[in-house]
Amino acid sequence: MENCSLQMKDIVKSYNGVTVLKGVSLNVRQGEIHALLGENGAGKSTLMNILGGVVPKDSGEIYLFGEPARINSPADSQALGVAFIHQELNVVNDLRVYENMFLGRELYKKSGILDAKRMCEETEKVFKKMNVSIDPRQMMGELETSYKQVVEIAKALLMDAKLIIMDEPTTSLTQKEIDNVFQIIRGLTKDHGVTAIFISHKLGEVIDFCDSYTVLRNGENVKSGSITLEDGTKIDQTEIAKMMVGKDVLSHQVYEEHNIGDTLLEVKDITVGHHVKGVSFTLREGEILGITGLLGDGKDEMVRAIFGDLPHTGTVIKKGQPVSIKHPSQAKKLGIGYLPPNRKENAIIKDLSVQDNITITALEKCRRGVALSRRKERAVAQEYCEKLRIKAGNILNKITSLSGGNQQKAVLSKWLNAKPDIMIMSNPTQGVDVGAKNEIYAEIMKLAKQNIGVIVTSGEAQEIIKLCDRVLVMYHGEVRGELSRDQLTEENIMILSTGGSLN
Amino acid sequence: MENTSTRKRFDSLKSFASNNSIVLVVLAMIFIATLAEGSQFLSLQNFMNILRNHAVIGVIALGMAFVIISGNIDLSVGAQMVAVAAITVSIVNKTGSVLLGIIIAIVAGCALSTITGLIVTKGRVPSFIVTLGMQYIYRSLSMYFMQGGGFYLDKEKAPFYTQISNYMLFGKIPMPVIYYFIMFALFWFISRYTKLGRHIYAVGSNEKATRLSGINTNRIKVLAFTLLGFAISIAAIIESSRMGSINSTSSGNAYELNAIAMTVIGGISMEGGKGKMSGALYGMLILGIINNMITLLGVNVYLINAFKGLIIIAAVLLQRKDSEL
Repeated sequence: MENCSLQMKDIVKSYNGVTVLKGVSLNVRQGEIHALLGENGAGKSTLMNILGGVVPKDSGEIYLFGEPARINSPADSQALGVAFIHQELNVVNDLRVYENMFLGRELYKKSGILDAKRMCEETEKVFKKMNVSIDPRQMMGELETSYKQVVEIAKALLMDAKLIIMDEPTTSLTQKEIDNVFQIIRGLTKDHGVTAIFISHKLGEVIDFCDSYTVLRNGENVKSGSITLEDGTKIDQTEIAKMMVGKDVLSHQVYEEHNIGDTLLEVKDITVGHHVKGVSFTLREGEILGITGLLGDGKDEMVRAIFGDLPHTGTVIKKGQPVSIKHPSQAKKLGIGYLPPNRKENAIIKDLSVQDNITITALEKCRRGVALSRRKERAVAQEYCEKLRIKAGNILNKITSLSGGNQQKAVLSKWLNAKPDIMIMSNPTQGVDVGAKNEIYAEIMKLAKQNIGVIVTSGEAQEIIKLCDRVLVMYHGEVRGELSRDQLTEENIMILSTGGSLN
Repeated sequence: MENTSTRKRFDSLKSFASNNSIVLVVLAMIFIATLAEGSQFLSLQNFMNILRNHAVIGVIALGMAFVIISGNIDLSVGAQMVAVAAITVSIVNKTGSVLLGIIIAIVAGCALSTITGLIVTKGRVPSFIVTLGMQYIYRSLSMYFMQGGGFYLDKEKAPFYTQISNYMLFGKIPMPVIYYFIMFALFWFISRYTKLGRHIYAVGSNEKATRLSGINTNRIKVLAFTLLGFAISIAAIIESSRMGSINSTSSGNAYELNAIAMTVIGGISMEGGKGKMSGALYGMLILGIINNMITLLGVNVYLINAFKGLIIIAAVLLQRKDSEL
């Protein structure tokens, strides 16, 4: 095929007897941004890992820029002009930007001393090509996340990459930062003939920024095509979502009517450093209270303070009793649970099994005498695996063996097992695929029906609209406005979160 | 494609070896040791000697395992053991009460390690630094109070004290071996079957996530040190009873390094969160057998540490899993 940067044909891969890629094909034209879509476990990452030389394929063919490619190691892949930018940024914060750019491939003067000047110049050349202005001598740690991402892309270009793979590059970025990164990539594909493959769960982004897509499901091709249809309109988000999960889920109604009871929690004048400035609100039994706002507007700091994870001033009253919460362990004793954002960093205990991760919050329930009873632990873990449909081969395997969505469900289980009467959740569906997302939403609804007060913080307006009875919108550490369920629209949320007011 | 099946076979062999490498190493060493001409290696008496000679450090290694799993380290254990033993010996000498001596030893050992743990957690100073400092302090104070020499047990006043370690059960089994296995059973139980044990693993694996699971992580880290303190107390009692004395300069030297070596050889990762208590037992056996083999095989004693060094590195290399590459 002409103009094809990449062709992968009939790629088969199995791990320990489980076939994860059942003859997958992928065609990417030169100069386009191609979205590789699918739920967690659909095989996207495996396919890209094969291309990146991280894992070997069992069978199949790869052609890069028209030539058959032999890729046995990441170095092979790099030499062929493929750059793989992983979800976690591989930057060294304590080095300067140019030092990161040339890490491991430093330029030397004839005398054998590092040639900082030339490295800076080369770095600047690449930045110019990308139309960004970053000082090569700045410390990496001082850059915003999106700029770190930009530096990673720049590094790829420095290595003469012609095909850039990005694995969920936007999960930790704000909308503005995302626009920024995409504009740069768009420029590269247009002006320099670079091709990009973009793995994401955020379909909105995909439709806005990509040229074409390939959807995988259970290790098989579902469909490939252009984002822009023949009639000039763009493909519908719901349609792609359907392809990904194989059933109609997005239109699935999440919100259900439920009773809202007495006041459960009163928060008065809570202040957390300069992040949160004197916020007050109440939460009632069986209520799902949303707290939203742009990144950095204090919603996460506020709930962490309530959970005792950040020092704060102000009063917290639970069921009429003023309480002092200085440590998460006190919050847990008072019946408050907290599902933190950034699962990998804050929520999963990587060396423990699925079972041990689920029982960790309430081990006293699994005791016989002084000793822990493995049988009781197993029963608890199995109960939640069934209830939340956690797909785990063996619950005694490490939690890291689960896919993102299943890990998140396990983290949720550990709090359900602690039986809180207030459940705080920050970005409950971060890094989770569409199917698991809806299951988590359904679980949140169930909590509310059991009279548990739920606080959901999220930057995704759609999520908030789907779930919440009432929403506080924060702006610069203060509550800018409150929206009842019938006022909940993306527009209203946007107006308040950017500092406007509703009339 | 034939390649893949042989590779698979090789992989499974490799994974078996890496999962059970410690046991394999112990077995291999025992095998080699028995090959030596006229080897007495397999005799019960030789085996008891190995265990007795390494029981003191072995007990410390059990406590060290908890501290390392919780994500910390303790470099002061040898010096602390000397300090605790000195206190114990002087109490026994003064009062003639063995029981009081033992109680004070345990209280002192636990208290001192708890203080270390509190400085590490409340003061947020890396445990490497805190315990390095503590090592100097214990050593110096011991030398000051013992005037550079040692304390000797008053055998007339408390004849029973030396029996604690020197009595042979059924005339065959030295008591330190019994103490070691009681301590092993206790610490193994704590690591596997208690909430505290589980929390120690959790803290070492991901402290932030553990804290956000509503667990007082500082408390857990301090308690890991307290458990080590308890082990140090027991070690101090065994050592002072066995020797009938304790010396401010010659006792307890390099015990911290040997204890760390035992845990590391046993597969307890310095990163924290990983490893089993049984590893500390295997680690003790391996170090013990090396020391013994070198004597039996007539190797120059100056080479003992070279072998130890090799074994430490080899053990960690063997246990490294592919996934961690």
